[in-house]
Amino acid sequence: MSNAPGSPTLHSTAAMAVELTGITKRFGTFIANDGIDLAVRQGEIHAIIGENGAGKTTLMNILFGLLQPDEGSIRLNGEATVVADPAAAIKAGLGMVHQHFKLVPSLSVADNVFLGMEIRRHGLIDHAAQIARTQELSKRFGLHVDATERVGLLSVGIEQRIEILKVLVRGARTIILDEPTAVLTPQESRELFQTLRSFVAEGMTVIFISHHLEEVMEVSDTVTVLRNGRKVATRQTSELSKDELVRMMVGREVSFDRRPRAALHGDIVLDVKDLWARDDRRLPAVRGASFAVRSGEVVGIAGVAGNGQTELAEVLSGLRPASHGEAWLKGQDLTTLSPAAIREAGLAHVPGDRMVRGVDRNASIAANTLMGRQHRAPWSHNGLLDWKAIAGNAGALIKSFDIRAQGAGDAVKRLSGGNIQKVVLAREFTNGADFLLVDQPTRGVDIGAQEAIHDEIMRQRAAGRAILLISVQLDELAALADRILVMFNGRIMGEVAGDDADEDRIGMMMAGVSPQLEPA
Amino acid sequence: MEILDKLINVALIAATLRTTAPILLVALGGSFTTKAGIFNIGLEGQMLAGAFFAVIGSIWTGSAFAGMACGVAAALAFALAFAVLVVTFRANEVVVGLALNILAGGMTISLMKAIFGTRGSIVGHGIVGLPKVQIPGAQALLGSWAPLVSGFTPIVYVAFIAVPLLVLFYNRTRLGLYIRVVGEKPEAAEALGISITRVRYIASLLCGLLAGLAGAHLSLGYITMFTENMSSGRGFMAVAILIFSNGDPLKVLAGCLLFGFADAFSLRLQTFGFPSYLVLTVPYVVALTALFALSYRARPKIIKETLASMQKLLSVDRNSSPVDKNPQ
Repeated sequence: MSNAPGSPTLHSTAAMAVELTGITKRFGTFIANDGIDLAVRQGEIHAIIGENGAGKTTLMNILFGLLQPDEGSIRLNGEATVVADPAAAIKAGLGMVHQHFKLVPSLSVADNVFLGMEIRRHGLIDHAAQIARTQELSKRFGLHVDATERVGLLSVGIEQRIEILKVLVRGARTIILDEPTAVLTPQESRELFQTLRSFVAEGMTVIFISHHLEEVMEVSDTVTVLRNGRKVATRQTSELSKDELVRMMVGREVSFDRRPRAALHGDIVLDVKDLWARDDRRLPAVRGASFAVRSGEVVGIAGVAGNGQTELAEVLSGLRPASHGEAWLKGQDLTTLSPAAIREAGLAHVPGDRMVRGVDRNASIAANTLMGRQHRAPWSHNGLLDWKAIAGNAGALIKSFDIRAQGAGDAVKRLSGGNIQKVVLAREFTNGADFLLVDQPTRGVDIGAQEAIHDEIMRQRAAGRAILLISVQLDELAALADRILVMFNGRIMGEVAGDDADEDRIGMMMAGVSPQLEPA
Repeated sequence: MEILDKLINVALIAATLRTTAPILLVALGGSFTTKAGIFNIGLEGQMLAGAFFAVIGSIWTGSAFAGMACGVAAALAFALAFAVLVVTFRANEVVVGLALNILAGGMTISLMKAIFGTRGSIVGHGIVGLPKVQIPGAQALLGSWAPLVSGFTPIVYVAFIAVPLLVLFYNRTRLGLYIRVVGEKPEAAEALGISITRVRYIASLLCGLLAGLAGAHLSLGYITMFTENMSSGRGFMAVAILIFSNGDPLKVLAGCLLFGFADAFSLRLQTFGFPSYLVLTVPYVVALTALFALSYRARPKIIKETLASMQKLLSVDRNSSPVDKNPQ
């Protein structure tokens, strides 16, 4: 029934595999899913696309019984169902392949596939039968694995196939995949898409989560776009263009609440020339980026997440080697320096993932404001830390950055996301560095703290600092940046002046359409 | 040559099997907890409690097997206490294990004083030792080699038969598989609805069962008496073997035979008039040498990880700087 994707006559008659109605899920005051309706036809590949934090994974976790919705109802194959836990979901014919695999390295592929539902003869596990059944399934769906191999010796791509086999063995007819291509090479992704098509050819249903436009356009029949916990639209993929999709993802109503500013452009502080870098899979992630940042200037980097922004920030802060090119900061090439030497050279870094690279969550505010400068006066003298000076300084920072905490001795993990980010800013922005690398400064931060963080970035600009602001939020870039560079697939597609940031043009470039092709 | 013949003969091998049995049993018990991901340093205490209560049970009931059952019950009680503290209340394994070892040592001494009014050892009082199993026809078939298979206490047979049974258990039974999964990848077990708590309790109790048998072998096997601290470090030797064997039954057997042989050999050397202080160091020298040799191959995880990350760092440098980095 799925041989004609996009054909409207079939849509109206086909039965629904999954129908979610008015799903709402709150975590405290944060609304992860806000009244989402979703209908997935039997025998289609249905993509769910949206930025990080749009609510995709939450929605799928609700469908699979890992979370319970606060409001709304679920129908599976036309029947109203309460999915109390994953076991109930599996019984109803659902299967989910998570982002993080849960395989046992010392066991064979077949043992992993059948773990929890072993085939037994005379009370003993029948390895031969398990291997035969695994091989049969892997052949049928093009999931090439050697059933006898130990999982610990296999690559991530093959581990994913084993996870899919696990789901198949449990009799799933509707398969949910959470960002399946995030860990795959392009070759492996193509093989995965082949497999997904073979599922649909057998009448099964596939729901897959992604934030990659390309693959959604390539493989899906239908696409649902989520943004900020709400559904934007569900459309036939064949009726959509890439830049329409981008605009649905990032939002049409970019608020141009632009900060007032005086022109301050001074000398070039950071000069990046033809910079290349690879990602963790050794594939090119930054491809020939060239740009400059002047003092008293905020340069924004826009782009759909995963287009090389993270890798660019890591290269500039010394956390990832460049494979080619240069990045000059005040007479020194950053690509040749260690992270510590780069900081000495004049970089302050507000990392994108603050809990991993920004703070030590178990340490106090005082210790966190100290990190990276513990060897310098006034924080230490003659190799000994001066805790009185450290606490005094932290107290002053708590006041000037308006960090809501009981005192400098508070463990950082007890603060809210916004206040943790302020601790990072307080440390980084008072280092006397000339170049500030600010990555997703307001991700997961409440509105009040967002305002305060934006104010602080503008104060740093007024003080003559050169600022590179990486953000997936267009309104943040439009409010703060003097110039916005748009990244797509590791390249800088073009530049837009902050004063006339136009979400249509930026959206085009984010979708990979070169601005030269457009009438100016 | 003549001396060698006198040293290494059938009697020595039979003695090796005898001295191997208790350490093998307690190490196989520890294999359950090791595989289930629990570092069980409390083997020594479980064994000691088993030895003491086996003697008490034997005196009270007048039966060696009832005594053995008492010893096993005492070791199970220790294993249960260990599981409650470590699995349910998530206390530190090493601290709990050490505490239970100290408790076992102190408790047996005070009870000895309270019940028998003596310190040091319990001898006589009508302790019944375990019988020796004479395998019919062994003498006729094997002649002078018969002591290798016949004439041991039942617990020795149990210890050696347990090895292939455990191999089968880990590879072919569901419980054995789940114990391995819980130890190696608890999140996988959780995702499949396998109760980690339940599996770890079962593993702890199976461990107590074998440790109790090992203790009963010490006090009711070839000598029928209890002395203070009679387990004399065998539980700790078992822990060492477990670390290097990762709880695999065949590797456990190999390690235990080595220790058992060193033990039997040193006993033998004493009868030949070597200075006893030197002779008593033999098992420890063998143990240290063996562990050193093994540890070279089975390096602890932390060293492996450090080496791996250094290698990764070096290879990244090599790839990035001279090969494709090319400053204009």
